[in-house]
Amino acid sequence: MSTAMNFSSKSFTPRPPDKGAFPLDHFGECSAFKERFMECLRQSGYESAACRQSAMAYLECRMDRRCFLLFPSFLLRQLMANEPLEKLGFKDLINEKSEEKPEKS
Amino acid sequence: VVPGETALAFYKAKNPTDKPIIGISTYNVVPFEAGQYFNKIQCFCFEEQRLNPQEEVDMPVFFYIDPEFAEDPKMAKVDLITLSYTFFEAKEGQNLPLPGYH
Repeated sequence: MSTAMNFSSKSFTPRPPDKGAFPLDHFGECSAFKERFMECLRQSGYESAACRQSAMAYLECRMDRRCFLLFPSFLLRQLMANEPLEKLGFKDLINEKSEEKPEKS
Repeated sequence: VVPGETALAFYKAKNPTDKPIIGISTYNVVPFEAGQYFNKIQCFCFEEQRLNPQEEVDMPVFFYIDPEFAEDPKMAKVDLITLSYTFFEAKEGQNLPLPGYH
């Protein structure tokens, strides 16, 4: 007895990213941060949760970078639009950072 | 990767030719049913990207798995989700099935 009940065509529909596309880091400006993140992953056995600090640092690098190209129309080109880190899922890591500061004073 | 937690992944692309290539990529998620839980915050896909001759670039994807993944009984046995990208050379007049989000 056939039990196939696939009404939908089951084709995968790609969805666009929430915040758009990353421009390519042609000059490798954030490569060092990427390497640090990858090294962390290797050491932690590829546990993403263990390397969130490094991931955050990479994204901060992208947001801070201004890519100066020769053509006037592309003088200022960020590698990532500025976005509060809390909105990127790093809220707990930010709170840790700000908690450290009062203790030091 | 923990569902609900944002995560970063890197791919690498190289243009082995002596000419610049303008490419565009799309992605696929396996198993198919897990695709609905896969959310990209930002990636390099769906926009034309230029790779100069012999250039090699890192291509990041910033994503999270919807926490409802953990609640779905159909996903109980899924412990490996594979995300793959295919890079096409963009040709004039070529219409790829891309979602319009501009």
